[in-house]
Amino acid sequence: MDVNFYKEQLEAKEDMLAMTTKFLVDMQKSLEERNKELTETYREIFDSVKFAGLIQQSLLPDINVLKVFFKDAVFTVIQQISIGGDTVFIKNTNKGIMFGLLDATGHGIPGAMLSIAGSLMLNELTSSMEIDSPKVLTKLFNYQLYNTFNRDDYSIGHMEGTICYFSPMSKKLIYCSAKGKGFHIPSIGTIKPLLNTKNAIGDNSAEDFENFEIDINPGDKILLYSDGLVDQFGGESNKKFTRERLRKLLLQHKDKNVKEMAVIIENELNVWKGSNLQTDDISFKLIEF
Amino acid sequence: MDTIEYKGYGFSLVHNCHFSNVYYNKHLKLALCIAERDYIPIDNFKAIFIAISELIDDFPINHLVFDKRKLRTFHQPSMEWYFAIWKPTAKSKGLTDHYKILPDLDWFVKSVEAGKHEIFKKYSKDFLDGIRITYVNSIEDVIDSII
Repeated sequence: MDVNFYKEQLEAKEDMLAMTTKFLVDMQKSLEERNKELTETYREIFDSVKFAGLIQQSLLPDINVLKVFFKDAVFTVIQQISIGGDTVFIKNTNKGIMFGLLDATGHGIPGAMLSIAGSLMLNELTSSMEIDSPKVLTKLFNYQLYNTFNRDDYSIGHMEGTICYFSPMSKKLIYCSAKGKGFHIPSIGTIKPLLNTKNAIGDNSAEDFENFEIDINPGDKILLYSDGLVDQFGGESNKKFTRERLRKLLLQHKDKNVKEMAVIIENELNVWKGSNLQTDDISFKLIEF
Repeated sequence: MDTIEYKGYGFSLVHNCHFSNVYYNKHLKLALCIAERDYIPIDNFKAIFIAISELIDDFPINHLVFDKRKLRTFHQPSMEWYFAIWKPTAKSKGLTDHYKILPDLDWFVKSVEAGKHEIFKKYSKDFLDGIRITYVNSIEDVIDSII
């Protein structure tokens, strides 16, 4: 090999180093710019979602309406990302009060839009006619939700939950539960899960639902909750919270008032969740008669 | 070595110089250009690829493997000549697939990426398109993809 070979090779090595360094520096600059853009976009979306969460929160009904009919009442809604698909419903009628807890398909922005639309539909239905049967209201709501979101050619979402009616004169709680979750916590006797039908609201326009009745005594409590509560992952083995763990918790604290019970449920859930992300939207409503 | 064998296929030596050996298998219509030094000066690089071009005139060759595993210096003007001058000519002669085997060195791979980036900035994509370039790990991988 003559000296020219080594000279050319050296020059090639220098060029290669300079070109690669420039390429990497340009790439780093480009990535930094992209990162800046993404950070800005994320901040805008985050702020937007956070503000939307405040709007959704302000649309929740006034708990004081329930307190007119019951000894006490409390509800908690913890959406997974500021906004979400869980909502509560309260509407007083001439003779009693209709209330419920609903969980829309999914979570986040689509869940929130569906749950807000659902709440508006329920308010419209109960404002335009006097309904004192949860089954009738659920059927009408099902029909309207189906025709809006799940017609023949598309299917966007449905809702699950429980709608209850209570008239102080009857001393009976009438409820219709479409895949809803809840417990009756009597002042004397055994805690029992609420019955439900296995059909969600909005899946089929001709769906039938059922009314169930509970005789209510003073001191009885009702808990309605969304599946996010019992499906939350956590604990030592990273398992679901489960309905059974919730039942045992209620049994342990059944004599406490609903405000204390709500704090206990929320604290227990937070301990269970630990550093895990929130699995789903979580909501629950406690009524004390 | 006048013949070489991969996966039971014999390859005959059809061109050689201090910097590389070129082998050919008629059945696979595959030529192998194996770099034997850590650097190929541009004049020698051009001579090797012109020889391959002449080989394509004489034999049906659809696939070419350039095994660069022994190279340690990457020469941008050679690469530019290959892309802008040699490749369009080889394509017009029937070469469809060019496989490249790079040394297992991150800095070398990154330099190739930088070089290609410069070439793609300089020439239009349509001009550079034509022969498929595939980066592979071994000659055996290429034979597997052909048979």
